[in-house]
Amino acid sequence: MPNDYLILTILVFIPLTGCLLLVPVWSRVEWARRIALGAALLDLVLACWVYAAAPAVIAGGGTLPGFFLWEDLPWIERFGIRYTLGMDGIALPMVLLTAFITVIAMLVSWRAIKERVTFHYFLILVMETGIMGVFLSLDLFLFYLFWEVMLIPMFFLIGIWGHGRRIYSAVKFFLFTLAGSLLMLLAIIGLYLIHGDQSGAYTFGLPALLHTQIASGASLWLFAAFLLAFAIKVPIFPVHTWLPDAHTDAPTAGSVILAALLLKTGAYGLIRFGYPLFPEAARTFTPLLYILGVIGIIYGSWVAFAQADMKRLVAYSSVGHMGFVVLGIAAWTPVALSGAVMQMVNHGVTTGALFALVGMLDERSGTRSIAAFGGLWGKAPVYSFFFLLFSLASLGLPGLNNFVGEFLVLAGVFRVSPIAACFAFVGVVVTLIYMLRLVQEVLFVGERTPLPLADISFREGIVLGVMGVTVIILGVYPAPFLDLVSMPVALLTGGGLP
Amino acid sequence: MVSLHSYLILSAILFSIGTIGVLTRRNAIVIFMCVELMLNAVNLTFVAFSRYLGNVDGQIFVFFVMTVAACEAAVGLALMIAFFKNKESIDVEDVNLLKW
Amino acid sequence: METIAMPAINFAAIMPETILSVIAMALLLINVFVPSEQKAYLGYLSLIGIVVTFFTVIGGWGTPQEGFNGSVMQDNFALFFKGIFLVSAALSILISDQYMKREECNHGELYPLILLATCGMMLMASGTDLMTIFLGLELLSVSLYVLAGFQRDSLKSNEAGLKYFLLGAFSTGFLLYGMALIYGATGTTRIAAIASYVAQNSLAGSNLMLLIGMVLMAVGFSFKIAAAPFHMWTPDVYEGAPTPMTAFMSVGPKAAGFAAFVRVFVIALPTLRADWADLLWVLAVLTMTVGNITALYQKNIKRMLAYSSIAHAGYVLVGFVAGNAVGTAGIMFYMLSYAFMNIGAFAIIVLVGKKGEPNNNVEDYAGFGFKHPLLAVCMSIFLFSLAGIPPAAGFIGKFYLFSGAIQAGYIWLAIIGVLNSAASVYYYLRVMVFMYMKDPVEEFDWLKVSPAIALCLIIAVAGVLIPGIVPGYLLELAQKAVLL
Repeated sequence: MPNDYLILTILVFIPLTGCLLLVPVWSRVEWARRIALGAALLDLVLACWVYAAAPAVIAGGGTLPGFFLWEDLPWIERFGIRYTLGMDGIALPMVLLTAFITVIAMLVSWRAIKERVTFHYFLILVMETGIMGVFLSLDLFLFYLFWEVMLIPMFFLIGIWGHGRRIYSAVKFFLFTLAGSLLMLLAIIGLYLIHGDQSGAYTFGLPALLHTQIASGASLWLFAAFLLAFAIKVPIFPVHTWLPDAHTDAPTAGSVILAALLLKTGAYGLIRFGYPLFPEAARTFTPLLYILGVIGIIYGSWVAFAQADMKRLVAYSSVGHMGFVVLGIAAWTPVALSGAVMQMVNHGVTTGALFALVGMLDERSGTRSIAAFGGLWGKAPVYSFFFLLFSLASLGLPGLNNFVGEFLVLAGVFRVSPIAACFAFVGVVVTLIYMLRLVQEVLFVGERTPLPLADISFREGIVLGVMGVTVIILGVYPAPFLDLVSMPVALLTGGGLP
Repeated sequence: MVSLHSYLILSAILFSIGTIGVLTRRNAIVIFMCVELMLNAVNLTFVAFSRYLGNVDGQIFVFFVMTVAACEAAVGLALMIAFFKNKESIDVEDVNLLKW
Repeated sequence: METIAMPAINFAAIMPETILSVIAMALLLINVFVPSEQKAYLGYLSLIGIVVTFFTVIGGWGTPQEGFNGSVMQDNFALFFKGIFLVSAALSILISDQYMKREECNHGELYPLILLATCGMMLMASGTDLMTIFLGLELLSVSLYVLAGFQRDSLKSNEAGLKYFLLGAFSTGFLLYGMALIYGATGTTRIAAIASYVAQNSLAGSNLMLLIGMVLMAVGFSFKIAAAPFHMWTPDVYEGAPTPMTAFMSVGPKAAGFAAFVRVFVIALPTLRADWADLLWVLAVLTMTVGNITALYQKNIKRMLAYSSIAHAGYVLVGFVAGNAVGTAGIMFYMLSYAFMNIGAFAIIVLVGKKGEPNNNVEDYAGFGFKHPLLAVCMSIFLFSLAGIPPAAGFIGKFYLFSGAIQAGYIWLAIIGVLNSAASVYYYLRVMVFMYMKDPVEEFDWLKVSPAIALCLIIAVAGVLIPGIVPGYLLELAQKAVLL
């Protein structure tokens, strides 16, 4: 595809431009909302267009195979820092997901946010730019920049519009992520210097850095730093503690974006940078990742089982679901990795929808306690239908999206490490149990406390409907998606096509 | 004939006395006098070296140090007077509004 | 008639200093005729002087001038630092008038003193003789003693001045003693001559007098740049001094201290590198850690920024320890961005403060974010930059410093620095938490933003964001200014 139009740059900076447009209408809330939504929709349309045009031009462009869109401009020449963006079959689904979820997050919070509305949308748009940048940048410095940029809006989202211990959660989220990413920054600098000393050309560009020969001791440390930064974001088991707090206390839009997008950046970082840059070190760490992935799945599901707060339950289920992604990455076979990418998208849609659903309940009744509800099926049938649909998707019902991802991951992992796959399967069963319990308690058990609950509005119906259709399509007919992912995955894993 | 070493040792002793004075005394003026003692110990070192090495740089330096010390004295005493006006004391124990 | 042979004076080498001091003297005279409520005009005049000086600094770029028999050397290194001093002086003057009017302390001597202090800093940066550096330092220090105690009627300010004076003079003693011993060991006070003497006679680590001299000088300079464990005066002085002067003191003199520190150690004592690098390694770690950890507990925002400035001195020391081109350029880049972000933050403090500054606690910023969105955005930008979060100049600066350290093989130092930087984010965030996430305790008064402060804020925001996003040009300049 011709690079003359800087499509990726436009994709990344449409939201930021939208932010600037918000400034003149700062106090006119209705306008601000529409402009923000317009910017997000425009970005979504562009992303869809890229997707539609992609298959025709899937080969070519750039210095890395598999990338079909590539932009490369000088930025800070002295350091060999360039403005390099590139899109391949793994980045594209992530970009689509980002554009999609941003629109959803805006619609979900359409009425829920009553104060400082413009600022809220402003932050969401800034975050979209940051996340898009993370998914598209192929220069480590640029990547780091976007990585940090997406932190700040989330900090404010949680801290300003959150509930409960919002400030504690916001600060905890920020510090956890920052501590990890700063160490990653050191590793980036280290890698840059090692490569520069070796080749004489100092650069932060991923294509060149991929060819660096690193002494095994050094590469272990560097990979560990990358892994820590990404593990905190994913989150992988021992460093996940910020997640339940942040999710629970964030406003609905924040939770949706956090779960659907921010968590993906960590896994994406591992796929794009961590593993390819340090393949040998990664192999050394693989057993650890298996163990932590499995612990994540079982622990997340187990703790989710014990939660009384619906939002917390969904948050812990995220830990479990992301455990599958970790397993898929650790196995690093074409099948498992495709599954992991698929699972990233699935989790984004499903969990995003679940957070939206919980948010709607919270908006109406002011509580998220499971025990407060019951008998919703009779009272709000449409809502209940969607609740059931996404819960079933989340627990991995065949025919819905999560099943495909989890199946691929398990199939891939089973070939490499049957034990890990078996343990992960235990996690699936626990997920089944707590999700069914949730559905039963909320939808079917008799009404406990009479709460005035209206069924969903038209706007909410659109949101849930679109997400529901996505869930079903991905579950029934995942072939186009898997085709898209197959080539980059094959290139990454160095094997044949799955 | 007094050797260079004697001068150096003397100035080191003077400098140490000055330092200890600054650290232990409580009256701002006495502290400042101790600082002056330190500076003069340094001057002695400079002059001794200058004489020993046979070049005048050290002596020139001493002139500058003396000038500067005079400036410092002027400014320092003015600051102490301003403080005294407000607090009626120049004991550093009373310089306590801010945590030391 | 018999003529006296003129010594090798080259006024081009001290052009900026000359202009500034002439203007300072002139202002002192003019001051007598200016009525008290119009002292702001003196400020404008001094700004004009600074701008003129700035142009001579730009004009001198790339053509090193040596003067006064080799005791001053205006090279790119000196010029870059002179730029930093002028920026910090100009920004501080811009925020002075409103503050001084509010505190009813509108004395015209303020501006000449700032100019003279700047002049002293410039001498420190371009001095190539221990004598010149000492004189510059004293010109700076004496002016600063007065500036710190400028509010004659405020006990806090008095205390700040007195403390600064006593400890400053004390530290001068150490510095001087160090200089005397180095003079004794090498027989000269010229920096270049010291270097060649040390090299020729291979006086490396074996010469006790040289070593003690070096350590004492390091102690003296550490006092001036407020490196732990010689930082005790900083928080008190910064808290008590008039806020614009705190802003000035936390940037300019610190940069000047580093300029002289680097020149003396890198040029004069390269053979002792192994020794002083170890010493500075310890200082850097202590400074960062002590600064950051203590800052976590501060309630008063001025005091918090004081401790944060200690920590920042620690980051800069990291670049110094690295000692390579990247590290040294990093020092310059960082000090310049620090000038913008720190003075910018102080400008906000000046604006928020009431007379006597009873409301300088972090809690007093509750609700500030939505009451004064623009000012709060500026403050957030400065704080994020101080915390080293992209895309702000503070991030590029830290990146540069730590790159230098890693390149020189000081991996652990870089790791400690980065962890410190992560810890520091907490107290910067706390201000933002109060600004945006807490409800105001009492309503904010309508803040009067004078055009001067507005200009200062605009310059500071630009100075933080532009080098943060497109740092190429400034990095280029800093690289060209490196001494090595």
